[in-house]
Order: sequence, then structure tokens, then C-alpha cells
Amino acid sequence: MSIVEVSGLTKIYGSGDTKVTALDHVDLCVDQGEFVAVMGPSGCGKSTLLNLVGGLDKPTSGIVRIGGNDIAEMDDATVTKLRRRRLGFVFQFFNLIPVLDAAENAALPLTLDGVAPAEARRRAQEWLVKVGLDKRLHNLPDQLSGGQQQRVAVARALVTDPDLILADEPTGNLDSKSGDEIADLLKVASTEWNRGIIMVTHDVRIASHAQRIVFMRDGKIVDDVKMPSGDGAEAARAAMEKAGLL
Amino acid sequence: MSTSATLAWRYMRGRPGRTVLTTVAITLGVALIFGLNGMLPGLTDLFTKTLFAAAGQVDLSVSSQSGGTFDPGIASKVSAVPGVAVATPSVRRSVGMPNGTPVNIITLAGIDPRTAPRVHSFNVASGRLLNDGDAGSVVIGSDTAGKLGLHVGSSWRIPTVAGTESFNVVGLLANGSSPSAPEVYVTVGDAQRMTGAGNTINTVEARFVPGADRTTVEAAVRRKLGSDYIVGGLSNESTLLASVKTANYMFTFFGLFALIMGGFIILNTFRTLVSERRHDIGMLRAIGADRRTILNIFLIQSVFQGVLGTAIGITAGYLLTLVALGFYNPFMRSILHINATVSPSYTLGTWVAAIALGIGVTVASAVIPARQAARITPLEAMRPQIAEVAERQRSAWVLLGWAMLVGCVPMLFSAQVSLVGLGAFAALAGLVLVAPALIRPLAFALVWLVRPFSPATADLSSSNVTRQPGRAAATASAILVSLALVVAILGVVTSLYAGFFDYINKSLGSDFVFIPNGLILGGSHVGADQSFVQRIADTPGVGTVATMRLGQAQLGAGQVQVVGIDPVAYPKVASFTFSQGSGTADIAKLGTGRTMLVNGITAGQQGLAVGKTVRLQTANGLESYTVVGVATDYLNAKLSTVYISQKNLENDFNVTSNVLVLANARPGAAKPAVKAALGRLVANYPQFVLYDSATFKATQSQIFAQSFVVFDVLIAFFALPTLLALLNTLAISVLARTREIGMLRAVGTTRGQVRGMVVAEAMLLGAVGVTLGVAGGIALGYALVYALNATMYVMPYYFPWGGIVTAVIAGFSFALLASIIPARTAAKLDIVTALHYE
Repeated sequence: MSIVEVSGLTKIYGSGDTKVTALDHVDLCVDQGEFVAVMGPSGCGKSTLLNLVGGLDKPTSGIVRIGGNDIAEMDDATVTKLRRRRLGFVFQFFNLIPVLDAAENAALPLTLDGVAPAEARRRAQEWLVKVGLDKRLHNLPDQLSGGQQQRVAVARALVTDPDLILADEPTGNLDSKSGDEIADLLKVASTEWNRGIIMVTHDVRIASHAQRIVFMRDGKIVDDVKMPSGDGAEAARAAMEKAGLL
Repeated sequence: MSTSATLAWRYMRGRPGRTVLTTVAITLGVALIFGLNGMLPGLTDLFTKTLFAAAGQVDLSVSSQSGGTFDPGIASKVSAVPGVAVATPSVRRSVGMPNGTPVNIITLAGIDPRTAPRVHSFNVASGRLLNDGDAGSVVIGSDTAGKLGLHVGSSWRIPTVAGTESFNVVGLLANGSSPSAPEVYVTVGDAQRMTGAGNTINTVEARFVPGADRTTVEAAVRRKLGSDYIVGGLSNESTLLASVKTANYMFTFFGLFALIMGGFIILNTFRTLVSERRHDIGMLRAIGADRRTILNIFLIQSVFQGVLGTAIGITAGYLLTLVALGFYNPFMRSILHINATVSPSYTLGTWVAAIALGIGVTVASAVIPARQAARITPLEAMRPQIAEVAERQRSAWVLLGWAMLVGCVPMLFSAQVSLVGLGAFAALAGLVLVAPALIRPLAFALVWLVRPFSPATADLSSSNVTRQPGRAAATASAILVSLALVVAILGVVTSLYAGFFDYINKSLGSDFVFIPNGLILGGSHVGADQSFVQRIADTPGVGTVATMRLGQAQLGAGQVQVVGIDPVAYPKVASFTFSQGSGTADIAKLGTGRTMLVNGITAGQQGLAVGKTVRLQTANGLESYTVVGVATDYLNAKLSTVYISQKNLENDFNVTSNVLVLANARPGAAKPAVKAALGRLVANYPQFVLYDSATFKATQSQIFAQSFVVFDVLIAFFALPTLLALLNTLAISVLARTREIGMLRAVGTTRGQVRGMVVAEAMLLGAVGVTLGVAGGIALGYALVYALNATMYVMPYYFPWGGIVTAVIAGFSFALLASIIPARTAAKLDIVTALHYE
């Protein structure tokens, strides 16, 4: 069953001579528990797609349905509540609040939703244990490595049991080992915890952890490849060559 | 705690330096409001105690509408009114005691021994009360006796109009007495003789029959006595209480000014907090924080800061009260001769004002940045900020500012107090509003000033100041208000100083002055009769002698002092400072018919001018007096006063005693010898102090300097926000440009050049603030001097050169001081870390 349905999604910035079409009639569906990587060169519209799916930006035209509701039709308050309860975000630069410890950062979506602090903390700690940070619950972000900070961000994204996690270059600021660990973690989130995941990345090796790779160029989806089992990286590279991106 | 509150609290803890700076900005204003007003209840209490101690436990008090004396038969009239059980006549006067006496002023109360004990509850501790016909006896409070070393049977010399007289202490009372002027009881007859009151009295006090309706009895007494008498009033010294109230307004006004300066600093801080936390805001919005949550983070932080700043401000204010009273209590003892200690005390109003304004101004200053933060969309917030974006200028506000600046000019020269005040406000507000538009031209125009500090990066410093005109303008506005007050206060002090010494030279410019102990002519002081003046005149070497006598009158709804002078003798030894009229010729006019000079306060309050005739309520009824000039002397500059001839004062007010004597030495006389002879003479009149001209001026100069210490403290307080505003802005500026500074270092800028760039930026901001502050200060100072001229003192306007120099020195010194830490921080930045700073 699709948790996200994107249909004819278009985003145009500026007008006249400065008009830029960032997304051009994009169609995409993501199912529950499906891990989708979005790849493509800089400026191809990957992040724009993610922002529109996450309700961070409004499309020029087209539809984004999450759980059957078009988020383009929602007002700010409704889409904010939807992000809080049904979506999780993982950013390239972790974006943790520097003055809150790991557990408090991970608990943020719950406390924002009015969950009692003790309960929010308990649930956040469960997720931090699951992502391997059981010994770092009370550390502030500047006491954690980049990889650990991103694990906190993943725990924060999962803490509300969302349908979908949106990850924008989640490994872009990490070394390759930490990057692989985060990609593995996202894979576990999709396969074991049944979350849908859309991950934007430049890195073929990271994309190879996904079940499906969507290739974009000039605001359009140019290929959509289901990954075979086995050596994912090789398959991804082959798919990129096929799409003319390599 | 909610998420917003938790985040607000953690952010505050996470940046202790910023929190301290913001808190200090609030603390200053609250400390001023709380600290200065903390002196007032104690002072009010002191004055009130004095009044009530004088009134005792009576049900009703009757005094003359004019404040003068009247027939003792009035007591019989009062006692005949139904509901009045007993009425007793009395004479009450303040008497200055010789210098060095532990009690400086006493209230001489002449009572009728038969009726007074039925009205007052005298509690005899030892000895006895006065008996009828008990001449030469005195009863005093035990506490006063203790201070003076007296006991029952002691002999005590008390000053009278005819010199000191010896009294026998027959009783000591256990009752508490007025702390500033304790009561000393003698018989009415003795008091009349001692004060030169003839057969008259100045107070009737009464007790009602048990169960009588107070309002009905008071109304009946009023009907019986007519409009010439005040019934039930304790208003004799209400001017003192009014002064306390005025001080309350002034102190709150000063504190509010300080808080406004703090408000600009807080505004800048919160703007920066929003800028620094853009990524956090973006992330929070992305994961589901709504706009209200974001708004609340900043508003709750402002409440925390407000509460913290207010709490510290109240503590600092308490210490300020202690320090101020540490100066004030000795001042009261040495200058006002009030032997009482005022302790810090705070009214509910002071608490409410300090707390409401402290927290209110902080929250109000944070509202705009908080709303801006709440309006940021998640996507905007997540975008990398390459550099600070130049702010949109709010041209409508700038236009309004220019309009106010143009409009303030005619208002300042309108010659109407309210318009002049409005003009000064318009000038300050106008400068604040146009500041964002003036930042760029001023920064470029003044860049030459900072080239010596950073030859290579001066232009960069200038650009840094102008890239955020809003922030620079808020900083400049804080400096503007701060330095404008410094310029204005110093300007007023200069003018006051010059004005007072002009008064002294004219009104007390004689070779010798016999002046009351407390330097205050009012307050029903016992003076000296004509024999004292005659003995002065007969002293070898003394030339012309002139005196002042004092009565009270009702003019319109208010009380005025009536000073009696000899129109022929007075101009030979002294003069007035005239604001309408010409001088000696006008003084001479006082000798013909019922004419008077009025001082500035009376003219202002009553709308009087030369030629106008008014009805004065004298001791002997209503009389018409015509104004022949508007003039002020030194000692009466602070009180509503009219000047008439001594002949008219005697006829209309029954006053013949002298409260001030001025004497000139004959040409060629040896002044030291004359002074020594006069000194021997005054020994028998200890209510007076003898000064020669030079000593008197020196003493006054010292008093002036002592009483204006409070202004020095205020100036320091007002200059301090300049330092805070600059320190805050520079710290913010360096932090916001961390990446840029990294880049500058990477392309070859030396640490010294980076340091110089920040110092130059501070000096430029200081220069802009000083320029605006001096402009605002000139307008404000002019308005204050004008207002004082119109309502209280006549004084010349002096251009505030001293204030301007102080403001320039303070502005640039503070700029240099404020730049030290930010400049060092900027210069020490690690290049790689700075280049990756988010």
C-alpha cells in the first residue's frame, strides 16, 4: 500500500527570464516499509522533491498525498501536525539542538506533541538504545561524534512511529564508515521497523542500501530501478550508467 | 516544563555571556527605579511623623488660611460649637538651636495648661505638667532630654526673638516626639513673648464629645469661623510631601529612560538569537513545531531574562538605596539639620513599577524578533546563510522621524513649557526613528576617525556597521538616549550652578548675612525682634542693614510665603534676579500702597504678570495687591513666594520679627573686626548663623556640590548602557561573521588587522551614537532648563559644552573598552574552525 503518492508534481521558482523549473511533472509512489533512494546531479530537483513531500514547501502544481490526503491543500497548522506525527526527518547537518542532550533531542517530536516529558524521554531512550546509543543518552551534541549525532537524528525521526522518513543527504557530512552505518540503520528501519524511507544521496554506495533507486535529471525522473539482491553498489552504478548519469 | 520553556531555559544557560549582558541591561533600569524610590517612603514617613507629632491626638485642628496668627478668642468660639468637648489655643513655631546642639530644630509649643491636657494625651515620665501661670517652665520629651543631657530641675536656654532665655525643666514626657523637630512645651504667654506674637495664637486644637459625628462637627466649626480658617487641616508642610511625590515621578522617569536603553540592547540581542538559531528553528518547524511554539521559545526566554534581571535589579536597587542614604543622611544632618535617619523602605507601587517595567520592557523588546522567528518557514530557516542580508528599511518610520525633527524646532522655541517638553521628546524620538537612515551616511562620513586604528580595514569596518542598519541603529539609539541624558543633565547642572550663584550674588551679596540655621526661611521659624537689628546697626563699622520678615497667605487655592522687605534699605545691600521688571525702581514701588513682587513659581502657578491685581488672604482678611515685578531671591527660589513691604506685612499679617538680616560694612571698616563684633552679638541669638560674604559663597558651593552628587551617580548610571550596548553588538557582530573572519584570515589578513577592524567598528558605532546623543542632549537640556526657568528657578541657559565633552569622552572610551573582548575573540579565531562555522 502506498503511503506517499506524488502525481504531476511541478515546482517553478521565479518568473520571466529568471524562471527555473526545479521539478517538472514528477510522479512517484512509495509503499509502507519501502526504502527509496533518490539520486541525480546537483540541481536536478532531489531536495525540492523531498521538501514538497515533507510539506516544507508548496508545489506550483501537482498533488502530494500522504495517507490519502493532499498536503498541498492543507493549511500550515495541519501540515505542521502531519509532519510531527506521520513524518520523520533526517538532515545532512544533523540539526540537533545544541543545548539539549541526546535523549531530549530524540524526544522533541513527542514533547512538541504534548506527550508527558517522562513518557517522551522513555520512548526516546528506547529508540536511542535501538540505534546503538545506550551509553550516550545524556551527552550533549558537541560531546558526540558526527555518526553518533546522526544516530540521534534517526532516533528522533523514528520516535513518533511515523509512516515515512525523509532523509536529505544523511551521510553527506560523515566519513565512509559512519555513512555506511547510518545507511544500514535506515535499511533496518525499513525492513525491520516497516517505515517507508525516501533518501536523497549523491553516494552510489549509500544508495545501494535502498530497495529502489529513483534517478532524476533536470527536474524529471529519468529512471526508477528496483535493486536486485546481491552487490547493490554495482547494480546502482549500472543503473546510473543506464540512465546516462555516469 | 513545556518544550518551549525547556528550550528557552537551556538556550539561556548555554550562552552565559550573552545572558549576563542582557540581564545587566535590565538590571540597570530596575535598580534605578527601585533604588531611588526606596528612599522616598522613609522621607515621607519622616515628614508625616513630624506633622502628626505636631498635631498630637487631637480631633480637630484650626489654623489661619493665611498661615498667620489670630485672636485667641477663636478657641472660645470653637469650644462653643455643639459636639466639641474642649478647645485649646496654642502658639507653634520652629526654633533653630545653636550649631553643635544634638537637636538642631525644636517645635516650640505654647499651650494653655488648663485645657491642653484635655485635648492632648500627655504621658508624664517624671516631674509634672505645666500649671496655669507657670512662666519660665518647660516640659519636653524624655528622648529629647536624653539627647540634650537635661533632667527635671535643669535649666535650659532657648532662643527667642529677644535673645536666648533660661527655662526650668519641670517635666519629662514619655510620648514619642517628631524626629526632626521635637516638641517643647511652654505656656502660651511665654510662647507669645518668645516669638513676638503679641497676644495672638496660630493654632486651636479640639477634642469632640464621645460619639459625636466628626463630619457634622467639622462642618459646624467651618460655618462658625468662616473661610478665613483651615479646619482639620494638616497642610502646613504639604509642600514637603509634594516634593517627595515629584521626586518619585522623577526617579521613575529616570529608571524608565534606563529601561528604554536596556530595551534597545535586548531588541538587538533577541534579533541575533533569532539569526543564530535559524537552523534550529528550521529543524523544529520541520519536525512539527508550530509557529506558536517558536514564538513562545523567545517570549519565554524574555520572561526568564526579565525575571532574572528584575530580581538582580531589585537587589542592586536595595544596595543603591543604602549607598544613596549613606550620602543623604549626613546631608540631612549637616545641611537641613534634621537629626533623623531614613531607612530603605519600598511601597507597593515601587515594587509593582520595578517588576512590571523590568519584565514588561524585556518582553516588549523581544516581541518583534520573536514574531519574526515565528514567521520564518522551515525551508528558509534550513537554507545556509552565506552572509547577513541587509535589512529592509522602514521608510515610513524614517519619514515620521524626519517630520518629528523638523517639528521639534518650532516647539523648542515656542516659549510654552508643555510645547518645549514635547519638542524635546520629539527630538529624541525623531533621532531614534531616523537613526537607521543616518547610519550609512554617518558611518561613511566618520570613517576618517577610525583610519588610525585600522588603516587597511577601516572601509571594511564602515561596511560592517552599515550592513545591518537596524542593529546599528538600535545600538546607536541606546547610546543616543544614554549620552543625551548625560549631556542634558550636565547642561542643567551647569545652568543651575550659574543661576544659583547669580542669586547669591544679588540677593545675599551683602558683606554679612545672619541666616536661619537650616537655611530655610519658611516653617514658622522664630526670628529676632527689631532690637537685634538695631544692635547690629549700632555695631561699629556696620553700614546699611536690611532684613526679611516672613508671613503666610492664601493666594487662590494655594499657600504662598509672604516676605516683607524694607523697600528703601533692601536695595542698598541686596537685589533680586528679575525676570519681569527692572530692579531698584520696582523694589521702591513696594513702598506705595499694596504692591508686591512675585517669584517665578508664584507667577507660573497663578498666571501672574506685572500690572495684575490679586486678592491675598491675609491674617486680617482679604486684601488686593498689585504685581509690580517678577523676581526671585536665593533662599526663596524653591517656594511660592511674594514680596511686600514690611509695613504692609505688619498691618496685614501682624508680623514684626525678622528671619534674615543683611548688613554691609562701612567703607574702610576692618571687616574681620566687624565680623568678630557681630559674632559676639549673634551668640545670644543662636537661631541665626553669621556668615561673611566669601564664607557664605564657599559654604553654598560646598552644599551645591554635595547635593549634586546624586547627579554624578545618575550620569554614571546613564553612561553605562553605552558600554553594554556596544559590547553586546560587537560580540554579536563577531559571532555572526565568524566565517567571514575565517575567510579574511585565510586570504592573509593578520590577527592585528582583524583586531583593528573590530576596534574601528566599535569606534564608528560610538561616533554615530555620540553624534546623535549630543544632538538629542542639546534639545533635552534646553527643554529642561526652560521648564525649570518657567516653573521654579530663573537661571541662564548655558550651552552644555561640559556635557558634550563628557559624552564624547564617555562614548569613545566605552567604545574602546567594549571592543577589547570581541576584538581579541575575532583575532584568536582558528581559521579552519571559523571557515566551517554554521
